[in-house]
Amino acid sequence: MRSLLLALLFPVLCHAEPATVIRAAELKSEPATDAATLAQLAENTKVDALERKGGWTRIKAGEAEGWVKMLVLRYGAGAKTGDSGLTQLFNVARTGSSGTQVTTGVRGLDEQQLAKAQANPAELAKLNTFAAERDAAAAFAAEGKLSASAVDYPKP
Amino acid sequence: MSKLFALIAASLLAWPAHAQFNLRDLNINKMLETVKSVGKATRDIDEPEEIAIGRDVAAHLLGAAPLVPDARLQRYVNHVGRWLASQSERPDLPWRFGVMAAPQVNAFAVPGGTIFITRGLLDKMTSEAELAGVLAHEIVHVVRKHHLKAIQKGALAGLSADAAGAALGNVNAEARAKLIAFGTEMYSRGLDKGDELEADRLGVVVAARGGYDAYGLPSVLQTLQAVNPSDSAVALMFKTHPAPAERLDMLASKMQPVLDAYAAQPQLRERFAMLVKTDR
Repeated sequence: MRSLLLALLFPVLCHAEPATVIRAAELKSEPATDAATLAQLAENTKVDALERKGGWTRIKAGEAEGWVKMLVLRYGAGAKTGDSGLTQLFNVARTGSSGTQVTTGVRGLDEQQLAKAQANPAELAKLNTFAAERDAAAAFAAEGKLSASAVDYPKP
Repeated sequence: MSKLFALIAASLLAWPAHAQFNLRDLNINKMLETVKSVGKATRDIDEPEEIAIGRDVAAHLLGAAPLVPDARLQRYVNHVGRWLASQSERPDLPWRFGVMAAPQVNAFAVPGGTIFITRGLLDKMTSEAELAGVLAHEIVHVVRKHHLKAIQKGALAGLSADAAGAALGNVNAEARAKLIAFGTEMYSRGLDKGDELEADRLGVVVAARGGYDAYGLPSVLQTLQAVNPSDSAVALMFKTHPAPAERLDMLASKMQPVLDAYAAQPQLRERFAMLVKTDR
């Protein structure tokens, strides 16, 4: 039953995302500036975003489908519902013989939890064991066919 | 000369209230001591001190949320992060990267080269280039010492001047504890907006230097822009950063040439999926 539910929900979650074109933009046949222009999209056109590729996003605008520069799109806030941080609230530990609720078991990174945090040297020691040396990181980058290049910072 | 005057004025402000109304009791030697420690607090914190402060702050953050117990994932993020840090102006810091077990969407840079990203944020990503974009943003915070400068500034304002000087010089355990608590609290208040926007601009460059599709960070920002701002998982991140739409506008106006020049570099979706999206 649960997998059936998931199967029903999945296409909704991974497909078109409603978005708005924030300034006039060209709808291109391919994700490239020199590709054919299929249509001119006016500012505030509502579209459905389908996938991203580099600096381009494939969209559907009415009947037309093509690519626009990804930075001209803004997604509708409030389109998603639910509260993924809420499970934290139920993560309360009950300790002590008096039966009073204390919140020492609450962990997480909201403002209150940060304020209450006590140092955890054991976790810090664990963090150190995962550190990567420069050489190992370079080998890892080469495996992914990443090559370093000199790029200047923009002028302030 | 005017600097000395400012130091003396600052030390007078830090003087206990009763002393201000009883000038006859004013001990000139004690006052000179205070002036000296103010001077100490305003000098630059050297690298070993920065690393020591960072370790204490990192231990506190780990007290709020521990590491995800997945060694393969932790090593993966360390490889990506260390490779990017190697492209920065501080390649030889003791860089550490950690994925925290927390549903909140956030990432933290700690002075001295420790960077945390939450499982909640990692789950919103789709490629290694996106991870690289976020880590590069945090690396810039460390390279430009954004948090260190904020800690130092806040310590001067929040602690009495001599306590701040003692804490930074690691003299007084109590003062130091206050400083670390202040340093941890800073992650609830956030940095100046200008620091965040600088980390975005320069972070795009660091990711491009590392050979990644430069659109990684903007992609994550666009994902975050679509999240309902009332979702408690993004509350702290949204409170401490400029709105994603504003950050995207800034990148579009300032960074479009760099973004486009390095847009065709690898995204490494498959490697990311293999190591991050498993057993969830």
